[in-house]
Amino acid sequence: MTGGVDLVVIGGGVHGAAIALFAARGGMRVTLVERDALARGASGTNAGTLTMQMTRAALIPYALRAHDMWVRAPEWLGHDVGVVSCEGLSLAFTEAEEALLSERADARRAAGAPIRLVTPQQARQIEPGVSPAIRMASHCTIDGFANAYLTGLAFRRALVAEGVELREYTTVQTVDPSAGGYSVHLANETLRARQVVFAGGVWLEPMLGWLGVNLPIKTLINQLAVTERMPPVMRTVVGIASGLLSLKQYPHGTVVIGGGWQGIGNRTSNTHSVRHSSLIGNVRLAMHAIPGLGSTRIVRSWTGFEAETADALPAVGPVPGFDGAWVCGSVHSGYTSAPYMARCITQAILGQEPEMPLFPIDRLLAQPGTDTKTQGHRRE
Amino acid sequence: MSAAPFHDLIIIGAGPAGANAALSAAGAGLDVVLVDEAAHPGGQVWRAPAAGTHPPPDPDLTRGNHLRAQVAQAGVALRAQTVVWSVAATQDGFEVAIASPQGPELIGTRRLLVATGAQERVVPFAGWTLPGVFGLAAATVLLKSENFLPGRRILVAGQGPLLVAVAAKALKLGKAPVAVVDFNGLGRWVQALRGFVGHLPSLRQGLTWQAKLALAGVPILRKHAISRAEANDAGALGAVHVTPVGGGTPRMFEVDTAFVGNSLVPGDEILRLLGARRRPDPLTGWRIEADDEGRCKIPGLYVAGDAGRIRGALPAAAQGTRTGLAIARDAGCALSAAPAKTPRRMDRFADASCSLMQVDDARIAGLADDVVLCRCEDVTVGAVRGAIADGAQDANQLKHFTRLGMGPCQGRMCGANAAALLRTSPGTKPGGDVLTPRSPLHPVAVAQLAGQFDYADIPVPKPAPL
Ligand SMILES: Cc1cc2nc3c(=O)[nH]c(=O)nc-3n(C[C@H](O)[C@H](O)[C@H](O)COP(=O)(O)OP(=O)(O)OC[C@H]3O[C@@H](n4cnc5c(N)ncnc54)[C@H](O)[C@@H]3O)c2cc1C
Ligand SMILES: Cc1cc2nc3c(=O)[nH]c(=O)nc-3n(C[C@H](O)[C@H](O)[C@H](O)COP(=O)(O)OP(=O)(O)OC[C@H]3O[C@@H](n4cnc5c(N)ncnc54)[C@H](O)[C@@H]3O)c2cc1C
Repeated sequence: MTGGVDLVVIGGGVHGAAIALFAARGGMRVTLVERDALARGASGTNAGTLTMQMTRAALIPYALRAHDMWVRAPEWLGHDVGVVSCEGLSLAFTEAEEALLSERADARRAAGAPIRLVTPQQARQIEPGVSPAIRMASHCTIDGFANAYLTGLAFRRALVAEGVELREYTTVQTVDPSAGGYSVHLANETLRARQVVFAGGVWLEPMLGWLGVNLPIKTLINQLAVTERMPPVMRTVVGIASGLLSLKQYPHGTVVIGGGWQGIGNRTSNTHSVRHSSLIGNVRLAMHAIPGLGSTRIVRSWTGFEAETADALPAVGPVPGFDGAWVCGSVHSGYTSAPYMARCITQAILGQEPEMPLFPIDRLLAQPGTDTKTQGHRRE
Repeated sequence: MSAAPFHDLIIIGAGPAGANAALSAAGAGLDVVLVDEAAHPGGQVWRAPAAGTHPPPDPDLTRGNHLRAQVAQAGVALRAQTVVWSVAATQDGFEVAIASPQGPELIGTRRLLVATGAQERVVPFAGWTLPGVFGLAAATVLLKSENFLPGRRILVAGQGPLLVAVAAKALKLGKAPVAVVDFNGLGRWVQALRGFVGHLPSLRQGLTWQAKLALAGVPILRKHAISRAEANDAGALGAVHVTPVGGGTPRMFEVDTAFVGNSLVPGDEILRLLGARRRPDPLTGWRIEADDEGRCKIPGLYVAGDAGRIRGALPAAAQGTRTGLAIARDAGCALSAAPAKTPRRMDRFADASCSLMQVDDARIAGLADDVVLCRCEDVTVGAVRGAIADGAQDANQLKHFTRLGMGPCQGRMCGANAAALLRTSPGTKPGGDVLTPRSPLHPVAVAQLAGQFDYADIPVPKPAPL
């Protein structure tokens, strides 16, 4: 193939950006195509929690390695994304939540996370801001958070320095296999590449549809809120047993409130908005966990799309039947694990053995439908 | 939280536009809820004085009192001291999220009228964030509600009709400004006169104010602007430097208080949150896309008054009446009279006012790097230029790169100025100069948002997978 690059990455979220960076460092000529600006979807608007206590047990080994990468971001990314490494607490307020908490703590501990159960007294020593109403907590010594909105800036600088060709505000229309690689069709231009990575977040389903591969992806519409700057009310990452709360206070004083409460949205039209009742519920839960939040104000709330496969495990690996085509995304607590997932899949793209196993998608593929293109847009 | 009641029409904002719309729509038979965060109807310009305050008689107060009496008598459900923190489209209309000292409430409506008025725009200068610097419009709020202005040695600067109004009212309170600094030259005012004759009482009032200022010996520096402000030892405003527009020798005035303001822009976040679009407007910068009876392109959504396009109080009132009737007609009410159009002469008056409040992008583009642009987050013009050099091509990306617009005001104060910087920088995204609005539209107290609740009643969704 002439005139092409080694790799085109489609989708400039944290997965696509990290893959492009690592592949360029591995010696590849790389083009990254993003419909918007870099990391302006989930990857730039997520809660930034780098936690084991919300991560699926099977992903803990990846998340632990990724946590370490985030903490050392200045070394490999060259830029800071405001990472704070701290302890984390997950709370139980009811008997049922106690049972859930111990079950989950056990499973995550077995997977390698340094989690132990603590009494309310111990929990309040670790986190004086926490509500006296708790019955039990699980404590993880490895937790923390990043400032997700800095993701785009940090990767942009790194990618530019690494010589990756960045195509922001550029939509890929479709992809065809062509001799020795792939043709990536833009509105007025076609890029050619030996290999191609689909890193389209919730849009992985329509993207793989371009090749006639049917990977159903469920769209979650996660909702977050942030307070104004306030004096310190907490020093750890705080969640609850069910995983439906995440709280932490940034060094500049704002508290981000999240946990996966659902907003309103539509993947096909790429629109999403806050569900009022979810905001009220989420804020109540936050105030219940950290009563000190009762004295502040909410200044903003927002939503974003998170991808989920049928078994809620990642889609990270080769596209079956298409040599040199890769998919990377749909990782639960995906921001946390992203740099390490990206490292592993980039090793495979570079022809090396990945450090840790990938999550090939063969298990998830639906039987080929009569018309995969419409199926790709069917799920809303 | 109570179950959502459903109404024919919710009106957000009880200023001249919203309150008059409520009167005409309720008069035509609609079930109307009128929401305002203030304690009484009146809006910015016909604002009610605070309890126990007795400002001198003034036509705006008279109009406001009349409006308040009318609203009290009409069958309008007034929700005062209630802030609308969000709105969302639903299958059969809109869900309006309100918060008040009673806690949160979600109310439903088939039709929604947004009459949220204007916001002030200030052209920043070095030191504009010092304590002691206030907005001109903010000054009118204090004058109307408290009959008071802070400061001992004051200076009034900026442009437009509010400049003269605030200076004259300060004089009346015994606080003759050290100087009035007007960006516009006399020529602009003379040009505007042709429009101002469209409303003679206001013209007469304006001329009287100017004459009183002249008689009191208040210097009016025309074609001048504040170039920077200096702090005193206590870190508050100590002095301002005033420079001729286009350059020249600055003059220093020692003052403890400055009132500054350049323009008004539509308070259109709610409309944009629902998908209404801005359209460029040569006179006022932009306006919200709507037909001349206030219908937006989104079915059931209406706009009236300064929230859609800066026109001032009297046109806002006239448009409110007209839009209220249009809504009633759309809802199937039989109307006895066709809604009247805003008189042409009022439009000319509004055009003249707006012509004095214009801010060219070039003025913003010419600001020095050390000038603060976003005061909530302390983001300077230089930091914004740095972000643009770093590849930020639109307003939302500027926000991510610098935190501009992330503070309590959500970019209301800096948005228009950041947009001007983007538009004048090569390589930025055309049409990408506006920050996406987010709820809550105004900061809302956690205590009000949460209200009274039991843990057991929080509808916690099912656990995430393990
Ligand atoms: C509100 C919210 C909060 C979250 N909180 C956390 C958290 O606290 N901790 C955590 O670990 N995870 C969190 N997550 C999950 C995490 O954000 C995601 O797993 C992760 O960012 C996904 O990254 P991605 O690169 O796979 O996808 P995305 O960031 O969605 O990137 C996909 C990109 O593909 C682009 N694209 C799509 N179609 C095309 C096309 N045709 N051409 C070109 N480009 C295209 C899109 O514009 C998009 O930028 C949260 C998610 C959300 C939404
Ligand atoms: C601060 C300020 C002062 C002004 N002073 C003058 C003046 O002295 N003279 C003059 O001629 N013009 C003045 N103006 C211009 C003024 O906007 C118009 O002349 C006129 O008031 C417009 O009428 P309106 O009904 O469109 O809006 P407004 O009179 O502004 O009424 C809007 C109403 O909506 C309410 N509101 C807004 N958002 C929400 C929300 N989310 N929830 C609940 N309520 C909400 C406000 O409390 C307000 O009462 C001022 C403008 C501003 C911004």
